[in-house]
Amino acid sequence: MFWNIYGKRIRGTLRDKDTLIWTWIFPIVLSTLFYFAFSSLDKEYTLSSIPTAVVMDEAYEADAMFQEVIGAVSGEEEDALLAVTFVNTVEEADTLLETGEVEGYIQAGEVPRLVLKENGLNQTILKSFLDQYIQKYSSIETIHREDPDHMEAVTALLQQESFTEEVSLTGNPPSNVVGYYYALLAMVCMYGGFQGMRTVSKLQANLSPVGARQTMSPAGRFRLVIYDLLGGITVHFGCVILVLAYMTLILGVNFGSKTGAMVLTCLVGSLMGVAFGALVCVSSRLKEAAKTAVLTSVTMCCCFMGGLMVGGMNYIIAQNLPVLSWLNPAARIVDSFYCLYYYNDYERYLLNIGILGAMAVVMFFITGIFIRRQRYESI
Amino acid sequence: MIQVENLVKRYGDLVALDHFQLEVQDGEIFGLLGPNGSGKTTAINCMLSLLKYDKGDIRLFDEPMSADNYRLKRQIGVVMQNVAVFQELTVYENIDYFCGLYVPDKVRRRALVEEAIAFVGLEDFKKFLPKKLSGGLLRRLNIACGIAHKPKLIFLDEPTVAVDPQSRNSILEGIKELNRQGATIVYTSHYMEEVEQLCTRIMIMDKGKAIAIGTKEELKAMIRTGERLSVEVYDLPEKILGEIEKLPGVIHAEYEEHYLNVRLTGGGHSLVTTLDLLRQRDISFGRVFSEPPTLNDVFLEITGKQLRD
Repeated sequence: MFWNIYGKRIRGTLRDKDTLIWTWIFPIVLSTLFYFAFSSLDKEYTLSSIPTAVVMDEAYEADAMFQEVIGAVSGEEEDALLAVTFVNTVEEADTLLETGEVEGYIQAGEVPRLVLKENGLNQTILKSFLDQYIQKYSSIETIHREDPDHMEAVTALLQQESFTEEVSLTGNPPSNVVGYYYALLAMVCMYGGFQGMRTVSKLQANLSPVGARQTMSPAGRFRLVIYDLLGGITVHFGCVILVLAYMTLILGVNFGSKTGAMVLTCLVGSLMGVAFGALVCVSSRLKEAAKTAVLTSVTMCCCFMGGLMVGGMNYIIAQNLPVLSWLNPAARIVDSFYCLYYYNDYERYLLNIGILGAMAVVMFFITGIFIRRQRYESI
Repeated sequence: MIQVENLVKRYGDLVALDHFQLEVQDGEIFGLLGPNGSGKTTAINCMLSLLKYDKGDIRLFDEPMSADNYRLKRQIGVVMQNVAVFQELTVYENIDYFCGLYVPDKVRRRALVEEAIAFVGLEDFKKFLPKKLSGGLLRRLNIACGIAHKPKLIFLDEPTVAVDPQSRNSILEGIKELNRQGATIVYTSHYMEEVEQLCTRIMIMDKGKAIAIGTKEELKAMIRTGERLSVEVYDLPEKILGEIEKLPGVIHAEYEEHYLNVRLTGGGHSLVTTLDLLRQRDISFGRVFSEPPTLNDVFLEITGKQLRD
């Protein structure tokens, strides 16, 4: 009997275009849109060397200190502040600025001059750099002139030593984009609710003629529910994995290296989604369309609070309404993915998985009790 | 096979089944006949423990029926009023699925499914999805899903609603064949012709009560009407209609849409007397039809309303 119910459920679900569109095609389309919309987002937050022209006129040749500073902040390295192009005249520098080959140019002198064409982050950095240089140069010059004995101390103070070191626990770079994909995966997991709803509605005599026919059969309803739900979970989990594979292999989204744990998260998330849909369907006396509306609304609310529509919403909810955050399955799924991406240890991840698993078990249990005891006043 | 005693089912203030009694013998084709809303489907759903009921005792195969009496359910087949099949499964898969709920053995099931497909004549449509089938074929699939496991007791709840005449005949012949193969059948319908044609015993229901029970001959013998007369008359004055009503053997006469309809007692010369009166009053008439009474007449005489009302 198991293979009859389980196999037919898988076959039937794979032929149900609506389900496949919402749980497979729609997330793939949405993740592709994310890819095109957010692909430059991480780059925006990565500083690259600023193309700058320096005029090598007489003043530049005469100012050894300025030459040394320019040499120190430029170079071939990736983390160099400036990518310097040396020109001989101001006219050449103007031309480079006009054509957009440089963001600005610097002309040495008693007070070095910065020429910019536009406003922007790079221009602000250039201005800040030159202001800092002028201020320090002026300070050193004043101290040198008025109190040369303290020059050594001043020099030591001006050494720019960093006392903190940036370390990534997992080796994964901070990303502003990955959260959106996590929220999307959480949404797909929660869409498992439609599978749960389908199982229960097809077994309830008051919701469908097929439900009535199955209720009259000698197969116990508890058994029918479990076998059918397993079929639904299998198809849904497959859809989530396909979406994950698409994001990773086709779009090239970097989710870190803990693939096994990610798959486990997808499985537990799918179980949670299916259980949630089954519970919504079994616990109310609404018509099927109304139940679908309730399920969709609650799912989207959970996803909103999990950060799908507004990045960082999950943090806001976690800070202000922590209980709601812990009880929100979408937020737990997103947080599980975050833990895998940013943390080396599994403590918080396992807590999330435990909460999701426990919620799913409780929901399945309540659904089972409802189904087993259900008899109808009317059909 | 079936014993129902004092079954009461209420929907709020509405009494859907009012101390309903039923006894069906092994091997019968038992008809439940009544207008829509008379309680036929509710009675079946209660018998199958699908619906809660307020009072009463239901026994099938001499055992009390309950929702979790799976041993009893295994011997029962149900063909519901609404087509109950999965839209995403093919004809074969649907029958196999429902048969599989009763018959775990795969080899035996395969044979049963093939037999059911042949029985309802869907051999050419095995791989079709239900949405590709016509209404008649869909009804046949619905029947196949209910009877593939060879049940001993089959409930057929209005299986021919919205079915073309060809499919209807095929379905009715199929039901007779199932009975010949040994199945006891409970058949509900509001089509009296079907019930007359098919059933060995008939219960007429109205407002949740059994108002008459017996063979079709017994039911017809319960009423005074022995003959129905329809005469095509171009114009019939009220006075003459009154005279006809007073003729001996006339139970009721009415004139409607150029037809004089008269219910007569059986035997005697009522037909001749009626036509003689029309001649004597110089009322010209055309075609004359005479029919034996129908179950509708039984229903009409007992309840005062038409079965199709």
